[in-house]
Amino acid sequence: MTFPLDFWQISLITAITAIILLITSEMLSPYYGKVNIPINKKRLKQSSMVFSVIFLGTVALRIIEILLS
Amino acid sequence: MESPNKPNMINGREKMRRNISLAKVAGWITLSLGCLSLIVSIVYNSQILAFIGLGLTFWGIILIYIRSEEYVKGSLLNATSLSTFATLNQIIQELGYREKAIYLPPKYLKDPESNKAYIPKNNLSKLPTPEQIWEKENKLFIENPQGILLIPPGSELTRLFEKTLQTSFTKVDLQYLQLNMPKLFVEELEIAQNLDINIENNKVHVKIENSNYLSLAKEAAKFSELYESTGCPLSSSIACALAKATGKPVIIEKQQINEEEKTIEIEYRLIEEEEKT
Repeated sequence: MTFPLDFWQISLITAITAIILLITSEMLSPYYGKVNIPINKKRLKQSSMVFSVIFLGTVALRIIEILLS
Repeated sequence: MESPNKPNMINGREKMRRNISLAKVAGWITLSLGCLSLIVSIVYNSQILAFIGLGLTFWGIILIYIRSEEYVKGSLLNATSLSTFATLNQIIQELGYREKAIYLPPKYLKDPESNKAYIPKNNLSKLPTPEQIWEKENKLFIENPQGILLIPPGSELTRLFEKTLQTSFTKVDLQYLQLNMPKLFVEELEIAQNLDINIENNKVHVKIENSNYLSLAKEAAKFSELYESTGCPLSSSIACALAKATGKPVIIEKQQINEEEKTIEIEYRLIEEEEKT
C-alpha cells in the first residue's frame, strides 16, 4: 500500500489551492469595496499565504534538485 | 413527573443546535470525506481518489480554520448609542454650555490613558491649567474657569483603536496616526472604505469615505448642541487620538457630512497652550 500521488502532483494541488485562495482573499479585500460576506478575512489571507509558501517551497526543492543533478 | 426545568432545557438545546454554524459543519464533512477518500485511494491505489481526497482535506481544513466573524447589524449602532447622546445633549443644553469642547491631552489627566473633554461655559473662559484639572478630574463641573469636564462620546472607540493597534496613542506621534489610522479603519476594523489625514500647521483635516458611522453621524447631528461641541462618536474618537498623540488640546472646528458622496470631513485644530491660557 503506497500513496498514489507523487511530490509534484501534491505540488500541483497546493498551487491550485493557493491561486484560488489568493484570488478570493484579494476579491474580498475591503480596499475594493464593501463586501457583505461575514468571513474572517485575516485568516483567509493567512491560509492563502501558507499555501503559497508551501507551493513555492516545492518549486524551490525542484530547482535545487535540478541544480544538484 | 416532568421536571419544571424541562422546557428551559429544550430551549437551550434548540439554541445550541442553531448556534452550530453551517460553515463549521460543512468544514468537518469535507474534511471527513477527504480523509476517507485518501484512505480508499491508498487501499485501491487510485490517483483520482487521492486527488479528490487531498483537495477535500485541504478545503475542509480551510473551512474549519477560516470560519465566520461575529457581525452585528449596522442599525444597532444607532439604536444603542443615540439615547446616551440625547441625554448628554439635553444636559449641556439646559446648563447652557454651547462652546466647542476641548479634548485634553494626557498631561492634563492623572491617568494618561483616559480621555476627557472640557467644555467652557463661555468663549472668554481660559483653558484650565493641568493642576486645576487634576484637582477636579473626577468631578463634572469645574469652577474658575467655569466649565464642564466630561468623557467624550468617542472615548471607548479610541481605546478600541489602541487595543487593535496594540499601542497607546500617548507613545506615538502625529505621523504614526497619519500612517496607521487608514489601515486601522479600512483593513482592521472595516468601518470605512478610505481615510485621509492631512496636516497643515496646527490644523488636521480628516476625510472618511463610505463609513458605517455615516448614518450615526447624521442622526447625532440632530442633537445640535452636543454635536457642534464634541462631534459625533467617530470624530470624537479621532479627536481623542489626536490629543493623545500630539500632547496638545484639540478642538473639532468643522464637521461636514456629504450624503451623496458618503463622506465625513472633519477639521481639527491643535491649540497651542498660549492661545487659551
